Amino acid sequence: MLLPRLVMICLLAMAPRSAGAIEGDKELFPASGTETGKLVVHAATDLEAMRPLVLDFQSQYPGLAVEFVDYVTNDLFREAIDACAGRVQGGDILLSSSVDQLVRLANDGCAQPHNSRDTVNAPDWANWRDEIFGFTFEPIVFVYDRRVVPAKDVPRSHEELADLLRSKPDDYRGRIGTYDIEASGVGYLLAFNDSRQAPTSYGRLIESLSRTQTVIRCCNNEVLGEIAAGNVRLAYNVLGSYAYAASRTNSDLGIVLPRDYTLVLSRGAMIPSTAPNPVLGKLLLDYLLSPRGRAVSREKSFFFSENGPLPAEVDGPTSLMESGIGRPIRIGPALLAAQDEIQRRTFIEDWKRLIEGR
Amino acid sequence: MRILLVEDTHDVGEAICRRFQQTGHTVDWETDGSAASDILAYTEYDLVILDVMLPGLDGFSILRKLRQSKSGVPVLVLTARSEIDDRVGALDLGADDYLMKPFDFRELEARARVLLRRRSGGEATNVIACGDISLDRTNRSVMVGKREVQLKRREMTLLEILASRPGKVFSKEELLDQLFGFDEAAGANAIELYIGRLRKKLEGAKARIVTLRGVGYQLVSDDGP
Amino acid sequence: MTAHKSSLFSRLARRVAVVLALGAATLITAAWFYARAAADEAYDRLLLGAAFQMAESLVVADDRLSFVLPPSAFELLGLAQRDRIFYRVVDPSGETLTGYGDISPSADLSRSRAAPVFANMAYRGVEVRTVTTARAVTSQSGTGWAYVIVAQTTEARQALASELTTRAVILVAAMSLLALIGSALAIRLSLRPVDQLGDILRQRDPQDLTPLAATVPRELLPFVTSINHFINRLDERVRLLQRYIADSAHQIRTPLTALTAQVSLINEDTLSPDDRRHLERVRNRTAELARFTNQLLNHAMVIHRFDSTQLAPVSLNDVARKAFRATVPITIDPDMVVSFEASEEELTVLGDLLSLREAIANVIDNALRHGATSRLEVRATRFGDLGRIEVCDDGPGIPPEDWANVTKRFYSSRTEKGSSGLGFAIASEVAFELGGQIGFRGKTAGLPFCVYIDLPLVKEDKG
Repeated sequence: MLLPRLVMICLLAMAPRSAGAIEGDKELFPASGTETGKLVVHAATDLEAMRPLVLDFQSQYPGLAVEFVDYVTNDLFREAIDACAGRVQGGDILLSSSVDQLVRLANDGCAQPHNSRDTVNAPDWANWRDEIFGFTFEPIVFVYDRRVVPAKDVPRSHEELADLLRSKPDDYRGRIGTYDIEASGVGYLLAFNDSRQAPTSYGRLIESLSRTQTVIRCCNNEVLGEIAAGNVRLAYNVLGSYAYAASRTNSDLGIVLPRDYTLVLSRGAMIPSTAPNPVLGKLLLDYLLSPRGRAVSREKSFFFSENGPLPAEVDGPTSLMESGIGRPIRIGPALLAAQDEIQRRTFIEDWKRLIEGR
Repeated sequence: MRILLVEDTHDVGEAICRRFQQTGHTVDWETDGSAASDILAYTEYDLVILDVMLPGLDGFSILRKLRQSKSGVPVLVLTARSEIDDRVGALDLGADDYLMKPFDFRELEARARVLLRRRSGGEATNVIACGDISLDRTNRSVMVGKREVQLKRREMTLLEILASRPGKVFSKEELLDQLFGFDEAAGANAIELYIGRLRKKLEGAKARIVTLRGVGYQLVSDDGP
Repeated sequence: MTAHKSSLFSRLARRVAVVLALGAATLITAAWFYARAAADEAYDRLLLGAAFQMAESLVVADDRLSFVLPPSAFELLGLAQRDRIFYRVVDPSGETLTGYGDISPSADLSRSRAAPVFANMAYRGVEVRTVTTARAVTSQSGTGWAYVIVAQTTEARQALASELTTRAVILVAAMSLLALIGSALAIRLSLRPVDQLGDILRQRDPQDLTPLAATVPRELLPFVTSINHFINRLDERVRLLQRYIADSAHQIRTPLTALTAQVSLINEDTLSPDDRRHLERVRNRTAELARFTNQLLNHAMVIHRFDSTQLAPVSLNDVARKAFRATVPITIDPDMVVSFEASEEELTVLGDLLSLREAIANVIDNALRHGATSRLEVRATRFGDLGRIEVCDDGPGIPPEDWANVTKRFYSSRTEKGSSGLGFAIASEVAFELGGQIGFRGKTAGLPFCVYIDLPLVKEDKG
C-alpha cells in the first residue's frame, strides 16, 4: 500500500530542512526503447495518479525516459523560485495543484509560453498567458465514512456541514479532518477561495470546525487515510480525484459534492523559463492537454472531467458546471492576491488562531 | 471660216492672226475681255480662241457667259497659268479644247482645224463598226478591240469612207476626191501612203484593208460578210 | 524628336496616389497615436482603480499598519487577461510592506500625494505601466504617507492599440482605395477632351488645312488656338506659294509664248541657208525651254498640291485616257502608231486626278520625245493588288544602269543627248506620294521597252 510512504513524505516535508537543498521523491521511468532524451518532471501531484499518464505518454515517445520528482506544493514552489533565479537546475515541466504558486511564478517571468494544436483545448479559465495550463478537472468534495455517518447527517452543502457540527458537536469532535493550510499550498488555496466564495458561511464553518477540534493533516491522502483508519468521520475540502481513487478500494468512503458551490481546481502545468529541455516539457504538456491524455486522465488518474458525467457513487449535482454550482478556480492574476506575503501570513494566522487557538 | 481671237499679249496675238489668215481664215482679234464678251453676244463665229488672263473680263467669265447664252461655238482655251485646274475648269465650263502656253503653233492650227471640222461636219451620233474596229464619229476616236488607236485626221476620214460600206471596193480616184476635195492637189500615191499608215495602225484588228490591184481598196471583216 | 513622357493620366494618377498615400500615412499615424492614448486611458483607469482599492485596504490596526490585499483589485487588473501584475506597498517609514520591493517608478514617491502618478518603465526586462497613489495614515506615532505602486505589463494596451490601429488602417485603406478609384475615374473623365482632341488630330487628313472646330475646355483652348493659328499660317503659305507659282508661270510663259510666236513669224524663204539653220536652232531651243519651263512649273505645282489636296478615289482608266489624249499631239508624225488600251475592269486608286494625269502625261511625253520610233502603246492593267499604267515604245529604251537615275531631277544620261528633265522625276514623286512607284521593263525579244507606274488599288469594300 502506498499510504505509509505518503505519510513518510509528509513527515519529511514537515521536518526541519537541511539548508538549501529541497528533496523530492524521485522515480525514474526508463525509456522503453533506446533512450534519446530524459524529461524531468517536477510535480506536486500524487505519483500514483500520474503514473498511467506518464506510461501512456512514454508509449507515444518510446525514446524518452521520464524522471518524476514529487514534492509537496510549497517545496515545489521554493524549488521553482530557485531554479528561476538560476541557483539550481529545475525541471522541464512543473505540475502543481497549487496553481496560485504557478501564477506567481509566471507573473515573475519564470514561465515560457507554449502554443500548439493541443493547448487550445484548455478552457479559458484554465489558461493564463499560454504559460500556465490547467490539465485536470477536480471538484473539491466532502468525504465521509459510511460506517459511522448516518445518511441523514451527510451534509450536502457548506451550510449543512456547519449546521451538522453545531447540532452534533459531540458526535464529531475530533472526527473532522482537513488540510493544514500552512503546510499545504492546495489547502491554503482552497481555504482562501472558500473565504471568498462565501465569506459568511466560511466564517461559520471555521468557527464550527474549531469547536469540533478538527484534525489537521498535511495532505489529501493522509486525511483520507485517517478516515479509512476510523479516526476521522468526515473530511472537508478533499480533492475529488484522490477521494474517488480511495473510494474505489474502500467502499466505505462516501463522496459529496456540495450543492451550494463546489470549487473546481485544475491542476496546473508550466514550462519554466529555465527548463533544461523545454521541448520535452512541451511534449508532455501537449500530451496532457490532448484528447488522448484527457481520456487517460479521466479513466485512470483523476476521474472527473468538465464535460463528462460524474463517476458513479459520487453524490453531487447532475450538471456541475451548467448549474453554476461548479466554481472553477480561474488561473489568472487574481490568484496573485492569494500569494501576497501579508495576505498569506494574515490569513494563515487568522485560520490557525481559529482552528488551533482553542 | 471666221475666228475670234481674244489675246492681250500683242506678240502672241499677232502671230496667231498671221498663221490663221495665211490659211484663209478671217480672224477678229480682241485684247480686252469685256469687249470680246460684248462682240460674242451679237456676232457668230466658227471658232473662238480664248486666252484666260485678260484685262477687263477673264477668259473663264467670257466662256461662262457664252455657254449661258446657249452658244455652241467651239472654244479653244489658251492658258499660261500653272494651275492645271485651269484646264479642267475650262473643260467644265464648256471649252472644247485647251492648250498650255507656250505651245507649238502647228499644234494650235491642227487643234483649231479639228474643232472647225467638227462644227462643219456635224454628223450627229454614230459609230461605224467593222470586225472589231469601231469608229466613233462624234469623238473622232477609233477602237481596235479594246485598244484606242490614235488616227490622224485624213486616216480617220479614210477609215470612215472604207468602213461606211465594208466590202465595197473604192477606187483610188473616189478616195482622192473624198479625202482631199478638189481644191487640194494630191497624187494617187498619197492614197497609197495613207492606206499604208492605216493598215499599220489597224494591225491586229479583225478586219483588213484589202488592195485589189488596179481596182481599188476595200475593208473586209474577218468575221465574214 | 520629342521625348515621350508618361501619359497625363498616369502622371495625375501617380500624384494623386502619392497625395493619398501621404494622407493615409498621416491618418494612420494619427490613428496610432490616438489608439495608444485611448488604450492607455482605458487601462490606466483599471490600474488606478486597482491602486485605489489597494490603498483603501491599508488600515491601521493595533497601531500597526496592516494591509489585506483585495483580490478584487487583481480581478480588475485581470480584465487585461494576459498582463502580469506587480505591486508594492510602502509604509510611511519607507519600508516595503509587501509586494515586489524592487519596483520603483520614481525616486520621489511623494509626488503622488497630490494626484496619482502614472509612468512607463521597464521592470524585469518588460515594459510596464505604473501608477503610484498615496494614502495618509495616522497612527499613534503620527501621520505619515503610505504608497501603493501598481504596475502592469502593457500587452493588453498594445493589443488594444494595435487592434484600434488595424481598424483605422482598414478604414483608411478602404477610403484611400475608393478615393483612388474615384480620382482615376474623375481624371479619365476630365482628360476625355484631351483624348478627343487627339482623336480629331489623328483622324484629320494631313492635307486638310481648315481650322479645327472642336469644343474644348478652357485649358486646352491655347493648344487649339495655336494649332489653328499654325494651320492658318500654313494654309496661307501654301496658298501664297501656289499663287506665286501660278503667277510666275504666267509671267514666264507669256513672254515665252510671245517668243515662239515671233519666231514662227520669221519668213524662212528670205533667209540664207545659214540663217535658216540658226532659226531652226532657235526654234528647237525655244521648244526645249518651253518644255523645261512647263516641267519645272508643273513639278512645283504637283509637289505643292500634295501639301493641300485631299486624296480621292480616281479611276485609273479615266486618268490614263485623259493623259493619253492630252499628251499625244495632233501634229504627231503620221507614221507613228499610238494606241491606248484601258483595263476591262474598273481600277480605282486613291489619288489626285491632276497630279496623276501629269505624272502619266510626263511618262508618255518622254516616250514620244526620246523613245518611240514608230509605235507607242499606253495600257492600264491590273497587276495583282496594284493598278498599273504601262507606257511602251519601240525605241531603244533606257539602259538598266540608268533606271535608278532617270527619276532624279535633271539627270543626264551618258548615252542620251540632253537630259530627260523632270518628266520621270514628276512621275516618280507622284507615284511615291500615292504609295506607288515607277518601274522599268527592259526591251526583250518581241517585247518593247516599258515604263510603268504602279499604284495600290482601293480595296473594294462597298459591301
